[in-house]
Amino acid sequence: MSRAPSPTPRSPRVYTIILACALVFVPAGAPAQVELTVAPFMAKGPADAPVTIVDFSDYQ
Amino acid sequence: MKEYDGRIRLVFKDRPLAGHALARPAHEAARCAGAKGKYWEYHDRLFAEQPAFERADLLLYAGEVGLDRAEFARCLDERRFAADVEADVRQAVALGIMRTPTLLVNGRRIEGAPPLEEFRAIVEQALRERR
Repeated sequence: MSRAPSPTPRSPRVYTIILACALVFVPAGAPAQVELTVAPFMAKGPADAPVTIVDFSDYQ
Repeated sequence: MKEYDGRIRLVFKDRPLAGHALARPAHEAARCAGAKGKYWEYHDRLFAEQPAFERADLLLYAGEVGLDRAEFARCLDERRFAADVEADVRQAVALGIMRTPTLLVNGRRIEGAPPLEEFRAIVEQALRERR
């Protein structure tokens, strides 16, 4: 009995969610609470580190 | 970063700016490398080589960091991570982040790359506030 081939597994995309802190302000002046997705391979250092630095950058 | 081992978590977020035509493929390429365990090696390579981000360049760097170029090319050509890069851009825009780099240090926003001493002082202050 033949089995249908299983689909190619997609790259791992397990995300954890963190919240941007209330110190971040949108131009209107209201505190922004935006859920930030984090790809595990794009994070370094312990998840419970006292300081988290989020770096929004452009390679170009 | 080394001197703060264990006390800092660094999270990189994609914020390719609209005017940078070659940036988006580069950000997608870095995630292709990340899916194969080579994110930071590739990331460093991109910063070292900017702005040489044509497809052939991206494939060349993949080979140089030890990735399978054919598999990497498939990932890039299929744009497997386009939606993830776009999600980062949307989150940045929602936060009003319009220039790069923009850093959030425990939520405190710093636009542009500060001098090292100034940045160290900001990190030290964030550490003190968490004690």
